[in-house]
Amino acid sequence: MSNNKQIPEVDIVVDEKAGVIREIKPEQKLRSKSGHEKRVNVGIYTILTLMAIIWLAPFVFLVFQSFRSYLTENGGMVNYLLPKTWSLDNYIWLFTDEKSLFLRWYLNTLIIALFNAVLQTVIVLSVAYALSRLRFKGRKLIMNAVLVLGLFPGFLTMITLYFLLKQLGLTQNGAIPGLILIYCASSGMGYYISKGFFDTIPKSLDESARIDGATRFQVFMKIIMPLAKPIVIYTILMAFMAPWGDFVFASYVAFGTTTNYNVAVGLYQWVNVADYQGFFTRFCAGGVLVAVPITALFLALQKYYVEGVTGGAVKG
Amino acid sequence: MTDLDYLKMSKWARLAHSFVGFFASIPSKCRDGFKKLGLWFVRLFRSIADNLVDLVDTFVKGDWKTRLSYLVMGFGSFARGQWGRGLLFFLFQTVFNLYMVNFGVAYLGKLNTLGTLETYREGRRTIYGDNSFFILLYGVLTLFFVLAFIYTWRANIRQNKVSQQILDSGKKLKSTKDDLKSLADEQFHKTLLALPTLGVLVFTVLPIIFMILVAFTNFDATHQPPSKLFTWVGWDNFRQLLSSDSASYGDTFKQVLFWTLLWAFFATFLNYFLGMMVAIMINKKGIKLKKMWRTILVMTIAIPQFVSLLYVSKMFAQDGLINTYLMKWGWIASPIPFWTDAGWARFTIILINLWIGIPYLMLIATGILMNIPADLYESARIDGANAFQMYRKITLPYMLFVTGPYLLTSFTGNINNFNVIFLLTGGKPLSLELSGNAGYTDLLITWLYKMTVNDTNYKLAAVMGILVFVVTAVINLLVYNLIPSVKNEEDFQ
Amino acid sequence: MKKLVALLLAAMLLMSCAAFASAEGGFSGEVKIWVAENTVEFTQQAVEDFKAANPQYAGMTVKVEPVGEGDAASKMITDVEGGADIFGFAQDQLARLVAAGALLEVEEMNAIQVSLENDAGAVGAVTMGETMYAYPMTSDNGYFLYYDKEIVKDPSTLEAVLADCEAAGKSFYMEINSGWYQTAFFFGAGCTLTYDSDDSGALVKCNTDYASENGVKALKAMINVAKSPAFVNGSSVSNATNAAAVVSGTWDAGAAQELFGENYAACKLPTVDGFQLGGFGGFKMLGVKPQTDDAKIEACDALASYLTSGDVQLARFNAVGWGPSNLTAQQNEAVQANVALAALADQLQYCMPQGQYPGEYWSLATGLGDDILADKYDELDDAALLEVLNTFQTTAISYVN
Repeated sequence: MSNNKQIPEVDIVVDEKAGVIREIKPEQKLRSKSGHEKRVNVGIYTILTLMAIIWLAPFVFLVFQSFRSYLTENGGMVNYLLPKTWSLDNYIWLFTDEKSLFLRWYLNTLIIALFNAVLQTVIVLSVAYALSRLRFKGRKLIMNAVLVLGLFPGFLTMITLYFLLKQLGLTQNGAIPGLILIYCASSGMGYYISKGFFDTIPKSLDESARIDGATRFQVFMKIIMPLAKPIVIYTILMAFMAPWGDFVFASYVAFGTTTNYNVAVGLYQWVNVADYQGFFTRFCAGGVLVAVPITALFLALQKYYVEGVTGGAVKG
Repeated sequence: MTDLDYLKMSKWARLAHSFVGFFASIPSKCRDGFKKLGLWFVRLFRSIADNLVDLVDTFVKGDWKTRLSYLVMGFGSFARGQWGRGLLFFLFQTVFNLYMVNFGVAYLGKLNTLGTLETYREGRRTIYGDNSFFILLYGVLTLFFVLAFIYTWRANIRQNKVSQQILDSGKKLKSTKDDLKSLADEQFHKTLLALPTLGVLVFTVLPIIFMILVAFTNFDATHQPPSKLFTWVGWDNFRQLLSSDSASYGDTFKQVLFWTLLWAFFATFLNYFLGMMVAIMINKKGIKLKKMWRTILVMTIAIPQFVSLLYVSKMFAQDGLINTYLMKWGWIASPIPFWTDAGWARFTIILINLWIGIPYLMLIATGILMNIPADLYESARIDGANAFQMYRKITLPYMLFVTGPYLLTSFTGNINNFNVIFLLTGGKPLSLELSGNAGYTDLLITWLYKMTVNDTNYKLAAVMGILVFVVTAVINLLVYNLIPSVKNEEDFQ
Repeated sequence: MKKLVALLLAAMLLMSCAAFASAEGGFSGEVKIWVAENTVEFTQQAVEDFKAANPQYAGMTVKVEPVGEGDAASKMITDVEGGADIFGFAQDQLARLVAAGALLEVEEMNAIQVSLENDAGAVGAVTMGETMYAYPMTSDNGYFLYYDKEIVKDPSTLEAVLADCEAAGKSFYMEINSGWYQTAFFFGAGCTLTYDSDDSGALVKCNTDYASENGVKALKAMINVAKSPAFVNGSSVSNATNAAAVVSGTWDAGAAQELFGENYAACKLPTVDGFQLGGFGGFKMLGVKPQTDDAKIEACDALASYLTSGDVQLARFNAVGWGPSNLTAQQNEAVQANVALAALADQLQYCMPQGQYPGEYWSLATGLGDDILADKYDELDDAALLEVLNTFQTTAISYVN
């Protein structure tokens, strides 16, 4: 309490900055503000540090497991954390073993993700732009129909989609174009977030351009698109990330032709099919190799993601 | 009740009031609905009648070009120099005719039985009979096609009428070049929407209609085309899933539905409030390394769930890392039954879901919190409000108002949150008290998945899909009626 | 230039002749095979040998893919046309495959050969009603005890095994929430649960007496085992983090050897509460799917028959350790000397050959097992346990209609 005298001064300075001068009552003085603030901050730091540990732990553990050799130690599950000897055997197996199709799966997924990123972005932005900026007969109908269709669970139609693709020859050896087709075909229904973004661009921009004689196509390409960079990047990011995690439908479409698996299907079977004994550490290594580039990409483009989800959440 | 009474009520009482009001209004809403439906039918018949009259009228008044267009689509457009439109019409008719003759008619004819010709063996060779699956699928596709044809044919006639009128009034028709130009301008929406709509029609609408129809057939593992036929059975499947006699899944369905809703509730609101808290903590003045905290948390969004959740699920196993270390440190005497006990399993799932869900909410809340005018807080602080009061009076109402629609989509999303449940428990534990391969942590959606993939019981999966639709639709309707701010898309613009 | 064209034409003529010749006696299209991952390489080699021995099939392209046995059956049922022509599966899948029309009956001459050359249990396992639907490939799909002989001194009673494990801070693994492992207790205590089937794959009758004194005895034994702190529910050796004893089958032999090292041992299942644990003696088999082309059927018949013949079964044992169902191969010295197979053979005297079960049975049994693991029955008396088994039995019977 020896520094009690100084507190009023500090408080008054702060209040002056806010443009208000207030009398400070003795009771308030007792609750030493900076002390209180400090305690709160220490509490917050503690919570955040704890959370950071909990949030990072599984990933760190995963990385640890991936360095436990399946050859010299144990490729299955163990009840200790740190490998007894650190080794790259799992990674070496993934890349060099002649039985390993990991690189193939990785490439498959990359191809799907790249095509998906381009095509899906074009489709989503087209739909969003049309529904946001253009007014035409049937606009409301389309939006309501999408709302209703969206309430049906996706897995319901899996078997139908499989046979539709099969009719087009896009299963098994055609699995990769098949998956791209399916991912893109219905992607127009995910226009909400982009539409929300377009809605925020002032209409006057279009109107003045139209008066200057620009067609709607030119308005779209020359006026709106340059402004839409954040949402374009957001859409590309989402479309690129999604195919990496599909272990259900991708498995259906590849239908037992291992060379056409995506990386999720391939890795998933290592932990879920009894034939793969001792593949757990290799699964971890594969998982790390999938997670690292995607996480890096995501973190690099985090800003756009935040703009996307925030906009989407607010505008519904 | 007067408006004054309503205003006097507390917030919760108001909510309760509108809740009760919603259910009380169901009968009158239904009545209105039927009335609307009736009116809609009246309007439909009237418009059909109008169209028919117009068709006759156009034919009578039309010149020979128009009249020939009744048979050969696009002829009138061709003859009047609009070769682009004419070609499209003509091509569509040709494709349609070929399809119907070679394909469509045969499938339509079998739609009522879904095939009668059984597969049989000739020596050791298998001769496949009718394939019920394709009969149903192509039957529906053909119906789509027929509707599209009628619509296009009608458009073709109207085209002739309009062209004739334009020519009669001495103006010029649009050339093909004009048509093409307008696709980048007045008709730009058609250019933008044509492909996406086609994609959704073929790969979303068609499969959904197909599966809705499957709910009324006996398509399951023992009626599996091409070896076996399946056929229509009416409402039998709904009865099997919903009624509670011993051979049915009614009790299990109730249990699964209950957990689905409970899960969606916790997954949505716990994540929401805790995520908001975390956002507030990180964004508090004086907290350093904001970007680092955020980055650490959002890693769970970036890493594919089949990697992270599968690994976490193993961590919580009976002999997994968590139990082993807790026992090693002497914190527990025997392993915690994370996945074997129904209650624990549900709790653990909700807990782990926080790990996935908090970061999303943290990001969203961060964006929104920054938009709250700072002077609101300033004046509250001057009035002597403490942190909690400020949260309750300013932050929460603002967040709730702005994120209302998000909460709704998030709730529906959680009802269909397949990954978390499937990768963590796969629906386990099962029990003698449940049937149909469903477990205590199964959601409707994971149960649907098991029926489709493990049991190839498509008929029940289809019923389940319809029920999921009904559940989410009811919740959406309820919320739309209770919280008006969700309703209007233009409000948010 | 002209010469080149002439040469090309001649070459094409030759090739078409060759194609014609091979179409005459054999088959030159593509045949797809699905087998478990660890036998892919072996199967590829065996197919090469087959082609070398049968020149009429030399032009045939054979694609061998690793598809897990449970997965293979589900996929075959989902889309027979897209599935493999020849595929391996474990016995529990046979009934559903036949019911879904995904299996072609074994050709008559081959069927006679199969029933002469394989053990009686295997022949029964591939037969539904009077019809043989698949080729038996192994006779080792049963389970027994792998253990660490340094820790488990006396593997003859489960009580002793558990006590040894507990003393060493290690665990005993058995997957009691699986309908397959669970029968060790019920059959061991003297109960039965079998289904009669007709030729079309339909199950027509259920024979069971689970709801009996013996059933209660078995259930109580399971409850007591589950109560032990040393017990862990599980059967995969490589996923067991703290094992001193695991109930599993021959496919885990390699993993168990690696895990226990010097102390690797295997033996028949122990006794519990004074009765010997029993169980299923199961089989793995190869099936051929229905085809529309006679030449392909002939090729598939010949290939499947070859891949399950005595010599190939023996070779498969040597390559991956799968125990043969072929009688001659079973007499081979190496087979007789195998630790895991010896333990299995020892155990099989207490087992019954696994018959056909409806798919629902497996989830029903998992339900019972999960209830035990969740400690739901810990406090129940005999009458209440009998009531539980009554529910189980009625439900099991209700799957037949």
